[in-house]
Amino acid sequence: MSAITTARSSSSPDGLDWKQIRRYGAIGLVVLGALVTLLTGFNLGWLVIGAWLGLLVWQPFHAILIFYSIISIYPVLRVISISLRPTSGLLSRSLDIIPPGATLDSYAQIFSEEAFLAWLWNTIVITVTVSIIGVIVAATGAYAFSRWRFPGRRPALIFLLTTQMIPAGMLLVPLYVIVAQLGLTNNISGLMLAYITTAVPFSIWILKGYYDTIPPDLEEAAMVDGCNRLESFWRIILPLSTPALSIVFLFNFLGAWAEFLVAKVILVSPDVWTWSLGLNDLIGTFNTDWGKYAAGSVIVTIPVLLLFTWQSKYLISGLTLGGVKG
Amino acid sequence: MAASSTALSPRSPFSLQRILRWGLYLTPVAIFLAIFLAVSSGEFSGLTSQGIIDTLLFVVPLIIVLLVGALVLQFLLFQFLDKVVKTPHAMPYTLLAPAVVALVLFMVYPLIFNVLLAFSDLRRETFPCYSSVLTRAPDLDCSVLYSPQYAVENFTKVFFRVRDGEIVRDENGNPEFGRLLRTRDSTFPILLARTIIWTLVNVFFHVTIGMALAMIMNQKIRFKGIYRSLIVIPWAIPGIIVYLTWKQEFHAQYGFVNNLIEAFGGQAISWLDDPFYAFVAIIFVNVWLGIPFYMVMLLGGLQSISAEYYEAAQMDGASALQRFRNITIPLLRPILIPAITLDVIWTFNKADLIVAMTNGGPSESTNILVTGLYNAAFGTAATLEFGFASAFSIIIFIILFLFAIIWITTSGGLKEIYDR
Repeated sequence: MSAITTARSSSSPDGLDWKQIRRYGAIGLVVLGALVTLLTGFNLGWLVIGAWLGLLVWQPFHAILIFYSIISIYPVLRVISISLRPTSGLLSRSLDIIPPGATLDSYAQIFSEEAFLAWLWNTIVITVTVSIIGVIVAATGAYAFSRWRFPGRRPALIFLLTTQMIPAGMLLVPLYVIVAQLGLTNNISGLMLAYITTAVPFSIWILKGYYDTIPPDLEEAAMVDGCNRLESFWRIILPLSTPALSIVFLFNFLGAWAEFLVAKVILVSPDVWTWSLGLNDLIGTFNTDWGKYAAGSVIVTIPVLLLFTWQSKYLISGLTLGGVKG
Repeated sequence: MAASSTALSPRSPFSLQRILRWGLYLTPVAIFLAIFLAVSSGEFSGLTSQGIIDTLLFVVPLIIVLLVGALVLQFLLFQFLDKVVKTPHAMPYTLLAPAVVALVLFMVYPLIFNVLLAFSDLRRETFPCYSSVLTRAPDLDCSVLYSPQYAVENFTKVFFRVRDGEIVRDENGNPEFGRLLRTRDSTFPILLARTIIWTLVNVFFHVTIGMALAMIMNQKIRFKGIYRSLIVIPWAIPGIIVYLTWKQEFHAQYGFVNNLIEAFGGQAISWLDDPFYAFVAIIFVNVWLGIPFYMVMLLGGLQSISAEYYEAAQMDGASALQRFRNITIPLLRPILIPAITLDVIWTFNKADLIVAMTNGGPSESTNILVTGLYNAAFGTAATLEFGFASAFSIIIFIILFLFAIIWITTSGGLKEIYDR
C-alpha cells in the first residue's frame, strides 16, 4: 500500500522531484545491467534483470504486472516451443522460445504413433454430454433454491456446501468398488454421470447466487402479462443469467475435459482412455516423449483457451455478482 | 446488464459479432466432420468410423433417455405433489428432483457405501465375496462380510500399528503410529502436519499475491485488459497439463527452472528428487495455479467498493494502511471469506496435482492426507485394502468438516448465502 502512495504522489512535500529521481535511477539500473552483461561474457539475462529493475523504479505497477504476466505465460510458451522442436533437439537445455530447426513433426507423430485421436474422441463425447446435462440440472435446481422457501431448503444448501469438502478419495474408493462389483470398469457412462454429479453442487451455488441478484419483480411482471412460472423462468431469468450460465458451462466443461483421478481409476484399458490418461502415460514412462506430450497438450489446450476467451467477459460478473449484494 | 443490452441492440445480419458467433457454433461440426473424414478410410490414430458410430449409438440414446425421461418423470412428480400430496411447494421440489436424484445416486449412495465399506474386510483377496459378478475361488471364506470388528480394526489401523489384532507398543507402553503407506514417515500425524502446512502456505500466498495484484489492477493504469488476460491464463489451462508440464520443467537437467538458475551462475537443484525441494515445487505450482482465481474474485470485489469511501477517509486524514484496514478489508469480507473457505477445502483435497507431479515421492515425502489415501487405495503402495482406505477417508472428512464448521461459525462469512 505504501508503494501505491509513493507512485501516486510524484512530487513530495519535502521539495524533491521524485519523478525525476526515479527516472535517473531507472536509467542507472539499466546501465548497470548492461555493464554486468558485458563483464559476465555477454550473458543477456543480466541486461533483462537490469531493465526490469529500472522499470520497477520508474513504473512499479507495470514492472510488477509485467513480471507476473511473464511468470504466467512463460510455461505456456515453453510447451509451444518444445512441441516445435525437432526430434534430435528435444533434450535441449536452451531457453529459446522458437527452437532452431522448428518443425511440426511432433504433431504428426502424436497422431500417427499414439492413439491420440481416439483419446480426443472419448474425451469430447464425455465432455459435451456432461456440460449440457450438468447445466440443465443445475439451472433448474438453483432456480428452486433462489425463488422458493420450502421445507428442507437450508439443510439442502448446507449439504451442497458439505459435498465440496468430500475428499476425492472418499468417493473414489466406493465408486471404484461399485463399478468393479457391477463389472463396469472401462465404461464411460458411469464416468459421465459421476462427473455431472460432482459438478452440480458448485454450479447450483453459483447460479443461485446469480438468480438472487435478479429482482423477482421482473418475473411477476411477466406473469401478469400471462406467462406461467416456467415460461417466465425460460424467457426472463435464463437470458438474464447468461454470465452465470456461461461460468457453469465452463466449469462443467473444464472439469470433465481435464479430469484425471477418477478416469485413471475407472478407465483401465487404453482404448477407452481420455487424453489426460494418454498424455500422463507419455510422460510417466521412462522414455519420456516430451515432444509428443507437448504437441498433444497444445492441441487439447486450444479449445479450452478459445472457450475461456470467448466467455472471459462473463467471468468476473458471473462469479462475483452472486457474492456481492446487488 | 451485459446480456440484456446485447439482446436489445439492433444488429446487421453480417456484423462481425454474428459471423464470429456462427463460426463458433460451426467449429464443433467442422471438427466432427474432420475426425470422421480422417477415419473414413480405415483406422487412424486409434479410431475407426465403426468406433465413432458405436459410441454415438450408445451416447445419443443415453442423453435422449435421460432428458426425456427426466421431463416425463418431473411432470408426473409435479402432478403427484400438486394433486395427491397437495403441497404448496410442488414446483421447487419438482425443479430440484433431477439434481437430488443425481446427488443421491452418485454422491450420497457412494458415501453411505463408503461407511459400510469401513465395516468390511474388502481386500484384493476377498473382493469376489463382495461382488455378484466375479467368480469366487472355492477356498475363499465369505461367511462374515460386514462386522463392527472389522470397523474397529480398520479405524485403529489408520492411527496405530496393529499386529495380530493388538496395538504395537514401544518399551514405555506408548502405542506406535501405524504406517499408512510403506515408509516409516508415512504415519497419520506426519501426513496431517504436512497437509496443514501445505494448506496454510498455499492459501497464504493465494490471498496475499492475489490481493496485491488485484489492488494494482484496480488502479488507473494502461494495458489493463492485456495484463488481465495474461494473468488469467494459468486458470484456463487444463489442470493435468499444468501439472505434467511443471513436472517436466522441474527436471534437474532439461527443465527451464534449473536452466534459468544455471544461466545466472547458480547451482542446479534436483527438484523432484529431494524431499524438501519437491515439496517447494508442488507448493509453487499450486500457488501459481490459484492466484488468477483470487485476482479475478478480489478485483470484482474491489471494483464494487465505491470510491467515495476512500475520498471521505482521505479527507479525514486516514493513512493508506488505515484505509486498507478499515475500508478495503471489511467491504471485501463477503467475497474474501467464502473464497478462503473454498480455497482451504480445495487445497486440502488437492490430490491430482501431487499424484501427477510427484505421486507423493520421493520416498513418500510429499504425500498429504488425500494423496496418502489415494496411494493406499490405488497407487504406488496399493494394498487394495478398501476397508482400511474407507476408514481413512472418513477420518480425513471428519477433520475437514470440523475445521469448516469452526471456521464458518467464527468468521460468520457464509451466513448471507443462506439468509437471503
